[in-house]
Amino acid sequence: MESSSAPSAMPGVPPVLRGILPVLLVLPVLALFAWSMEQSPFATYLLSIMGVNVILAVSLNIVNGMTGQFSIGHAGFMAVGAYVAGVLGLALKEIAISGLPVAMSDQIFLFVALLAGGVVAAACGFLVGLPSLRLRGDYLAIVTLGFGEIIRVVVQNTEAFGRSLGLSGIPQTAGLGMVGFWVFLVVLVARRIAGSSHGRSLWAIREDEVAAEAMGVDTTGYKVRSFVISAFFAGVAGGLFAHFVPIINPGSFTFVKSMEIVVMVVLGGLGSTTGAIVAAVFLTLLPEMLRSAFTSMGAEGSLAQKVDQIRMPVYGLLLVALMLLRPQGLFGMREIWEVLPRWLPRRRKGIQ
Amino acid sequence: MSSVNQPRTEPTGTPLLEADGVSIQFGGLRALTDFHLSIRKGDLQGLIGPNGAGKTTAFNVLTGVYKPSSGEVRVAGKRVNGWLPHQINRLGLARTFQNIRLFRALTALDNVKVACRAQAALQVEGVHLGAKVRGAMHNYRDWWRAFLLTPGFMAEERELTQQAERLLEVMGLLHRRDEEARNLPYGEQRRLEIARALGTRPKVLLLDEPAAGMNTREKADLMVLIRKLRDDFSLGILVIEHDMKLVMGICEQITVLDHGETIARGAPEQVRSDRKVIEAYLGDNYLETHGGAA
Amino acid sequence: MAQLLQHLINGLASGTIYALVALGYTMVYGVLKLINFAHGDVMMVGVYMGYATAFALGRQAQKSFLGVVVIFLVAMAGCALLGFLIERFAYRPLREKPRLTALITAIGISFALSYGFQLDIGFLPGAAPRAFPEVITPREWLVIGDRDVVVWNWQVMSLLIAVGLMVGLQWLVFKTRFGRAMRAVSYDHRVAALMGIPTDRVIAVTFMIGSALAAGAGLLYAIKDTSVSPLMGLYVGLKAFVAAVIGGIGHVPGAVVGALLLGLVEEFVVGYAASTWRDAVAFGILIVVLLVKPGGLFGRVAAEKV
Repeated sequence: MESSSAPSAMPGVPPVLRGILPVLLVLPVLALFAWSMEQSPFATYLLSIMGVNVILAVSLNIVNGMTGQFSIGHAGFMAVGAYVAGVLGLALKEIAISGLPVAMSDQIFLFVALLAGGVVAAACGFLVGLPSLRLRGDYLAIVTLGFGEIIRVVVQNTEAFGRSLGLSGIPQTAGLGMVGFWVFLVVLVARRIAGSSHGRSLWAIREDEVAAEAMGVDTTGYKVRSFVISAFFAGVAGGLFAHFVPIINPGSFTFVKSMEIVVMVVLGGLGSTTGAIVAAVFLTLLPEMLRSAFTSMGAEGSLAQKVDQIRMPVYGLLLVALMLLRPQGLFGMREIWEVLPRWLPRRRKGIQ
Repeated sequence: MSSVNQPRTEPTGTPLLEADGVSIQFGGLRALTDFHLSIRKGDLQGLIGPNGAGKTTAFNVLTGVYKPSSGEVRVAGKRVNGWLPHQINRLGLARTFQNIRLFRALTALDNVKVACRAQAALQVEGVHLGAKVRGAMHNYRDWWRAFLLTPGFMAEERELTQQAERLLEVMGLLHRRDEEARNLPYGEQRRLEIARALGTRPKVLLLDEPAAGMNTREKADLMVLIRKLRDDFSLGILVIEHDMKLVMGICEQITVLDHGETIARGAPEQVRSDRKVIEAYLGDNYLETHGGAA
Repeated sequence: MAQLLQHLINGLASGTIYALVALGYTMVYGVLKLINFAHGDVMMVGVYMGYATAFALGRQAQKSFLGVVVIFLVAMAGCALLGFLIERFAYRPLREKPRLTALITAIGISFALSYGFQLDIGFLPGAAPRAFPEVITPREWLVIGDRDVVVWNWQVMSLLIAVGLMVGLQWLVFKTRFGRAMRAVSYDHRVAALMGIPTDRVIAVTFMIGSALAAGAGLLYAIKDTSVSPLMGLYVGLKAFVAAVIGGIGHVPGAVVGALLLGLVEEFVVGYAASTWRDAVAFGILIVVLLVKPGGLFGRVAAEKV
């Protein structure tokens, strides 16, 4: 029988299902949301944003959580994916594949654009990661931060990307189906990594890099690979984003966005995929709920607006509070099925 | 006394680990000077010296943590100066650490599993670019198999688990397989480090103060265990230790370091009565004030 | 040629300002091995304190010599206090925890400060940049040729104050008992504690000094730019951090050298290339340095004990 291991154990469940289970939990919830809100465009938009945030958080968790690195420029990869996919989407806008219904042709082009965005972002991840993952933790943080900023400056100075005004007119073809598919995929990948020998090597690097290296783990190689995979999904998330918002500009991919994702991963628990999902959902919904609560209470419009602004310093204080009071976040390194059994009758593991 | 230390089998073949005139300098500090070492299969050697003599530094140079300033380190006949520790490990050199460096949040089983590698793992042929690229490609393909949960991959995982469990059993830790490493008592943590090092299927094992913090009973068990490991796993073993009884008890040859220099080398009795060694440990005046060699 | 000289002077002037802030980063890193992301934002708070003081003094008093001194003193003292509080309540409890935890905390504080000050609530000033009161009437101090090269009085003052503070710091670190204690803590804070050095106090005072210097630098920057905004902490802070890294983080004179270099390079890029690339310069240099020589010009990347 497959053995248990602290970060990814799931006694009694066949391995094939382990990766899928968390997603099977998440998707119905999302679907329920979509249905109950009766196709209101705002609900669709909100759910899409939530999906994108989940992809970003889960992918960042691979690097920051499982591998224990400190990457704070994730929005940079998102931007790369968004712009590459966006430009490609614009180019393919007037074309359709003959013989197929337009909707299907659109989705195919979207998929191609997303892949392109993801691959380019992954390449950036490789270029950024290879030299900097040899550096110590705090230095890596600075480099990733710098990367995000450099991307922003490059975009702002490049005509093809629309400079500060941004790119508009990208076909709005990303629906909840496509978003949901990629959410499913990223969670599956993250879980598969966590439960495999590769994941074990990543955890080992997180726990003690020197020891891991001495035990034959190619630490730099693994760190780069986790970085590349994480960047790929961030790029896809960016591409999705570009295909359901009317316009993208550098302002959507600032350091603030990177920090938002970091807060999600830290809040959820560095290393927990479930935690990243829960925190992403929570932190996407919370400002919205507050905002609608304020407006429905009849408060002046400015108070509802203030929610957006208050969000950022609150995130800052939240990080500080978390580090002081509960650094492991909500789930620590564990997944939801390792936490729940405390309340459910547990099957005893035999004495080995 | 010396018959206990006779190797069970004659040491054979080319040396598995060699240090040839190795020196290392940190800024102005010469941590190791002209260090020589030769370990063959079946050897059980000791490396001793007062604190700060350079013993752990020697380990670090041998395992690739530091690059020698001069001289050559050879593992299985290959020159490994400048190789990364994980590459040297894959050639067959494993170690434990003076301050225990387990993967604290992982279970005992997982600690060992990290070190174990599937049979099909690529052996390091060299450090040139071609080998690195091939290694990376193989790794990426391996990640695919993990995603798809191919039967080959599942079989590999099962095999790794079995391997790890066997090693835990040898070290008497199987009952702790699902316990987080940080929760283990000190002595078991030390044994787990050894189990983990063995997981890399080494030909030479470097133990850095394996008996630190153990009581007399545990140390006696450790001595038996080290010999058993040498025999059962066909290893060459090099031990750094401060406990003289243990070192004199199991090592066939002892190298003594002081301030980075080798001041003595030989069988335990020789080393024990060597004047320079006594002075290094007990001070230059010791022999004068305590009347001559032991 | 004249243009070159002008750029040189401007670059040095902004370089010395960066240097004051960089010193704070490097000192704190020296004693705590922590990159204090919040340093720049603490500086920003100090500048606002100075701003408020200037207003309180009124238009006449703020231009007098005494007024300027008061403004500086209030800002620097206020910053020192803020630095003390942050260290005491946010960093000290985490001293024995992994570095990552403290790093995240530092980022959290940076965020809380810089975005908090962008709010329009209560005493918080709001996001719009405000004009910094004219504390020093700009006057040309030295003019070469037909206004080819102009050195302003506030540049000279800025240079004098910055150099004065740096010399004072140098004296403190190398010529006083306290400075020796600081250096001891920076090598190994546990051993320093065993030697009887009041580590907590040393670290607290180091923070306070670093913050006070940053406040001074921030005021000089605000005087130069004649504007103050809550985001200035992030920008100036980041550049000063790059300067500290260039010199070798933890190395005090290195921070100064790095800052001067950065100021000059930035000035030349803006002068001879496009000004929109100004912000990218700092990051570009940073990445090059980290890739080529992470220890900086003077620093040594401390090897981890295995």
